[in-house]
Amino acid sequence: MRINIADVFEVFPPENCVMMAIDRGRWNRAQPLHALICNTVLGWVSLGLIVWCGCSPAPLEYRSNALQAASLMRESSDDSPLEVADSAAMIVETWFGTPDSPRWPSDLFSTPDLAQVVDMDEVARCAGAVGRADDQIERGLFRKHCVACHGITGDGRGAAAALLAPYPRDFRRGTFKFKSTPAGFKPTREDLQQTLFHGIPGTAMPAFATLSNSQEFSEDIDALVEYVRFLAIRGEIERRLIAKSIREGLELATDNPLAQEVATDVVERWKISEHEAASVPEPPSLSDQDLIASIERGREWYASELTACVKCHGATGHGDGASQDYDEWTKDWTIMAGIDPKSKTEWKEMKTYGALKPVIDHPRNFSWASFRGGKSPQDIFKRLVLGIEGTPMPPIARAEGGNQGLTDAQIWDVVHYVMSLGDRS
Amino acid sequence: MSPSDISPVPVAPAVSHQEVGGQVVVLQNEGLPSVGWIWRPAFWAWSVTLFIFPLIWVGGLVTTHDAGMAVPDWPGTYGYNLFLYPVSVWLYGPFDLFIEHGHRLLGSFVGLLAIGLCIAAWRFETRRWYRWASLGLLLAVICQGLLGGARVVLDGRTIAMLHGCGGPMVFALASFMALSASRDWRSATGTVRPPGLQRLSWVLLVSSLVQLYLGAQLRHALPDTSPTAFMAMVHLHLTVAGLLTVLILVLAVLVRRAPYRDQPPLRTPANALLALLALQLCLGIGTWVVNYALPWSDWSPVLARYVIQAKGYWESLVVTGHQATGSLLIAMSVWMVCRIGRRQAQLVGNSQSFTMTSAEPV
Repeated sequence: MRINIADVFEVFPPENCVMMAIDRGRWNRAQPLHALICNTVLGWVSLGLIVWCGCSPAPLEYRSNALQAASLMRESSDDSPLEVADSAAMIVETWFGTPDSPRWPSDLFSTPDLAQVVDMDEVARCAGAVGRADDQIERGLFRKHCVACHGITGDGRGAAAALLAPYPRDFRRGTFKFKSTPAGFKPTREDLQQTLFHGIPGTAMPAFATLSNSQEFSEDIDALVEYVRFLAIRGEIERRLIAKSIREGLELATDNPLAQEVATDVVERWKISEHEAASVPEPPSLSDQDLIASIERGREWYASELTACVKCHGATGHGDGASQDYDEWTKDWTIMAGIDPKSKTEWKEMKTYGALKPVIDHPRNFSWASFRGGKSPQDIFKRLVLGIEGTPMPPIARAEGGNQGLTDAQIWDVVHYVMSLGDRS
Repeated sequence: MSPSDISPVPVAPAVSHQEVGGQVVVLQNEGLPSVGWIWRPAFWAWSVTLFIFPLIWVGGLVTTHDAGMAVPDWPGTYGYNLFLYPVSVWLYGPFDLFIEHGHRLLGSFVGLLAIGLCIAAWRFETRRWYRWASLGLLLAVICQGLLGGARVVLDGRTIAMLHGCGGPMVFALASFMALSASRDWRSATGTVRPPGLQRLSWVLLVSSLVQLYLGAQLRHALPDTSPTAFMAMVHLHLTVAGLLTVLILVLAVLVRRAPYRDQPPLRTPANALLALLALQLCLGIGTWVVNYALPWSDWSPVLARYVIQAKGYWESLVVTGHQATGSLLIAMSVWMVCRIGRRQAQLVGNSQSFTMTSAEPV
């Protein structure tokens, strides 16, 4: 029945319509307002029932790493990447549980210290749905604070991921940008705490410092760090199992000693990295004149071949150098798989496996004085000597043990110069 | 259309009597019952409306702080009767418990006000449809409360979304009750022709309800929502925001031009809609920035240096304000529909007794 809404008030003032309907005890199809009300109510009730019945949440599962399997098997047509990814996912589910009930495979590890690489009490507090039980302890911290961007698996494919720049971090590589350990090592707990505490300027990563002000939430950051470590370990084991299965024909079974070896190796790397934080010397105390001289020397180092800063950050430090590249997370499934990230037709074939549009990892524009890994001189010193893992930013060669490179004093000069670029703006 | 086309509505006699529920009620000018203010349905309707708005705010805060499950049981609070939960624990306990329990208490208070409206309407309101509508509002408030309870008991984010959508709709219904108890409703004069303006106001109302649904989808995104689905929802939300902007601007222009320029009551809701639209657009952008930052942080040093504060005070205020202003926009759309609708109607007889007549102006 066609309802002309414009005529509703004109022909049937509400008083009359409702009164007549009530008097007659039934809805008359000839009366548009009645039909309108009736249809609206029925529509909402039906919609409610459909949503209620059809959308009741199924138990959540960690997503398999189909993208990695697809990129590694791109040239082969033997197996389906989804099969391999699902087999690996089943193994890690047996070992690490589900998003609602995570577990730690202590029985895989021969030494008890490996069993304590992650605090499972804190992991349990972060897992599951958001809320409090009768003990009034808040749970589901990861879904409360992180899941919208990082996704339930920590794969950086949360609901909002496609609209963010840069994309949220995929923990499953076990690679973290801002850390105090050398290349190849995992971040320490303190590194992850710092990122959570201070956030990352200019990105969707918030600062949780406000939580630490509250007595109740003061330990939430520590708990989230444990859960991030848990997801990273779980994801990296899954990645390695997929890679070994495809490249070396590893049989994907929980009782396969080679698969267990993979798990032990990943956990051991996280364990040893905790004590590998590089020391940062105190910044030199300089007079104004010495500082100006240091900045001038830094400018020369900045432009030198030894540091090669100019290549990416440009001569003026505006991030407009000739070399503009993708990060490792993108290269992993594009260049490494023989896909040109600039070719839409090529990268789109990976979209079905969860790939997001490849985006260039732009070098920092120093004139904005916005440093994502921290803005203190020590933070910038760390970025220079350690690089930013997973990105085109390499560590500066340090003059140690007869190696050619920059001394600490010279690196401080570069730090002063980089900071001076921001001050000028 | 000339001013002579606008048909005046005969006003009600200065004083009249009408029998309501077995009692003879003295009616003053324009059909308002001559009872104390405490018994006037208008008082209760406005009270319900005014208290639903802070209820929406607190409900929004509950969602912003993901505090929906801060109290695991319902209708009680940690085993206590809702009204007997220790005040000191409520006030000085965790913030999420404070807002969730506060939301429940405020919701109960609104329920009591809705009961008050029902009593006042059934005792002293002369319009039968209004009495039934007051009962409808009470039912809507109860349903909304039950939905809130189901959200806790079943711990379902989908139900949370329905509950979030229901709040502004109950607010719109309460606004309608308050507006239809107003003097303007009873004494509206003139017609609005051609019916384009009325169609426009209905499209505005429906669009704002669609926008409410889309906003709730974004706010209650499930943990496993795909980036593609979320992005589509964001684009849809932006598209409807654009449509609403155009509709409100067109409405604001139309009510300032002939033949409506002689009817100031149409300008008031149009102006309110304009102001709310400006506020809502700012809050919408702000909501995205404080949740996800702008994806173009390389454009300006301010954006490049901005750090989102998780669950920060201003962040919560902006996000919750966006939701609450959306509810106000819906209520204002209802206001617009009512005012235009009342003027569109061809009214014969006094304001209590309408009869159907020709659509032609008298």
